Amino acid sequence: MSENIKQNYLNHPKGLMSWLLTLDHKRIGLMYLVSGILFFFLGGLLALVMRMELAAPGNDFISNETYNNVYTLHGAIMIFLFIIPAIPGALGNILLPLMVGAKDVAFPRLNLASFYIYSFGALFAMYTIINGGVDTGWTFYTPYSTQSTSNVVPMTLGIFIIGFSSILTGLNFIATVHKMRIPGLTWYKLPLFVWALYGTSLVQITATPVLAITMVLLILERFLGIGIFDPALGGDPVLYQHFFWFYSHPAVYIMILPAFGIISEIIPVHSRKKIWGYKFIAYSTLSIAFIGFLVWGHHMFTSGQSVFSQIVFSFITYFVGIPTGVKIFSWILTMYKGQVSFTPPMLYALSFLFLFTIGGLTGIFLGAVALDIHLHDTYFVVAHFHYVMQGGTIVAFLGGLHHWWPKTFGVMYNQTIAKICAVGVFLGFNGTFFPQFLLGLRGMPRRYATYSEEFVELHSYSTFWSGILGISIFIAVMNLFWSFIKKNKVDPGSNPWGAMTLEWTHTSSPPHPHNFEEEPVLEHGPYDYDKVIVEKTYK
Amino acid sequence: MSEHHITPLRTYLIIAASLLFLSGVTVWVSYVDLGPLNIVVAMLVATVKASLVAFFFMHLLWDDKKNLTMFLMSLMFFGIFVTITLLDTEFRGDLDLNPEVKDPINKRAAFYDTLPLTDSHGHPVDEHSDDHHEDKDHH
Ligand code: HEM
Ligand SMILES: [Cu+2]
Repeated sequence: MSENIKQNYLNHPKGLMSWLLTLDHKRIGLMYLVSGILFFFLGGLLALVMRMELAAPGNDFISNETYNNVYTLHGAIMIFLFIIPAIPGALGNILLPLMVGAKDVAFPRLNLASFYIYSFGALFAMYTIINGGVDTGWTFYTPYSTQSTSNVVPMTLGIFIIGFSSILTGLNFIATVHKMRIPGLTWYKLPLFVWALYGTSLVQITATPVLAITMVLLILERFLGIGIFDPALGGDPVLYQHFFWFYSHPAVYIMILPAFGIISEIIPVHSRKKIWGYKFIAYSTLSIAFIGFLVWGHHMFTSGQSVFSQIVFSFITYFVGIPTGVKIFSWILTMYKGQVSFTPPMLYALSFLFLFTIGGLTGIFLGAVALDIHLHDTYFVVAHFHYVMQGGTIVAFLGGLHHWWPKTFGVMYNQTIAKICAVGVFLGFNGTFFPQFLLGLRGMPRRYATYSEEFVELHSYSTFWSGILGISIFIAVMNLFWSFIKKNKVDPGSNPWGAMTLEWTHTSSPPHPHNFEEEPVLEHGPYDYDKVIVEKTYK
Repeated sequence: MSEHHITPLRTYLIIAASLLFLSGVTVWVSYVDLGPLNIVVAMLVATVKASLVAFFFMHLLWDDKKNLTMFLMSLMFFGIFVTITLLDTEFRGDLDLNPEVKDPINKRAAFYDTLPLTDSHGHPVDEHSDDHHEDKDHH
């Protein structure tokens, strides 16, 4: 990027091959970041196509068949190509070794392999698009998915492959946390983002194999008719849903735990206050990861599963609310009497608190069997999971990008534009998705290209605000990239937000190719604002 | 890291022999009809074999206990998956008075039309007698 800044991982070594074959976790992280953002934009474009179609009743923009393809690809790309692999892959890779004071992750070659496996899987998914799409929905429910003539096999094969990348990254992160910490960096001195990645990784290695099995069974069922899911052959179509959700409910924690970690970093730093309830937050991460394995049947309340399971799943689902609530209250108490500054990362963190709380609470509504019988497969569910995945995960991701941007690239973006966009994302998001709760309550089913007249007002309102949302996100990301052209450099030794974790205090911005010039010595905990004074260098 | 453990050849041979023996057991039990226990016994034998491989051939027994924890966790998650799924399949249609709905799904599968009908214990039943109501008792 620049000549006069001394050697850093971005400019040393040089050349395309030095990137493609790099073993440096920061460069691998950047490759994930770039691919992740590309898929995010592709998925976003598909979303806007859907909103256009839904602006008015009738099929005036795309056909029913196209609509089915568009929503399937939107969901599959966002979940399997962006949120699950790319967020831990990008921010996790860039930050984890820096945060534990290590030179790299435990298995750098495996890390690169993981990226290529992900890319290889993504090729299959992209092939699906060129070859005419897939129309089953991102959940690939049987019996339709064993009969549909669309590209079910390439897509599920792609997801199968990407799963391995997830498992290997998880394994790598676990080994890194166990083995690569500098002396003195005990478990309770780890930044909470590290705890979050650790919890995520545990879920990745325990749940993802089940996804792989599910996809393989589906493919075998299609090709060989082995009769696992086909009742005519003694199978059970609902069994598919058990398989799928045994992975995919834990997977929602793969999506949200890194976001929790990001928020746990942003809030104390931008409030200049010690995190409230460190151990509560750390252990709630692990308990969420565990409880997440016991509730998958709450996606199946209308599938015809036994009443006994309905009750068990509904009951256990409520427990998820406890560790989640613990976190929310801990973050709020962290801000209490702190010196809160409304920087762009903090604005995203505040949006997160608001949006994720709505998403989480409506999740509890849906966890109640009696209510879910009415709300299942309506827009209420669509609104719920967008509040948690976009309002939660993606907003936290944007916050994290803004927080660590000066660290990763050594340049600062335009703060004013960033703040305006953060507010735009918040308003656009609520404008788009809040009406969908109302639509769902009034009975608008999901996955339809058209609707009856009575819904037109809320739908067109939602479409209008989705435009604002799309534009805000686009400008926010462009504003970040613009900082490369603008070259508004931060001093390599600077600590713009006055953070206390090793990646800010012990290495330059952008970091040295080997992270630290010498092994860092731990001087204080990650959030000791009550003990040590760290100056903010960016005013 | 735990120090390197050297396993005596004898141990390997004993384990290998046990694995062969258990393979024999697998084949042998496949000829014995234990009704619904068939699958349980088959899985049990397979699990014992897999554990022997993991513990001795893959040195899990002498390794860092964290690795053992991971192994046991995967068994636990597998147990959770199977047990809770059975809470569905074993009780499906419970509250339904309509025997058509109440019957376990695979009993009405077209595939089973070609086989003699059996009850949930694997005992043959008479095709024409209506035994749906008996099913209630064993829940
Ligand atoms: C506070 C904890 C949460 C609870 C109690 C909860 C509960 C539920 C329930 C009961 C459903 C099923 C609704 C239905 O289909 O009728 C559901 C759907 C969904 N939830 Fe959550 N949820 C929670 C958090 C999350 C989080 C954190 C995420 C992701 C980041 C998430 C993602 C989803 C998705 C993607 C679906 C819809 C899947 C589909 O059918 O396509 N949820 N949630
Ligand atoms: Cu769920």
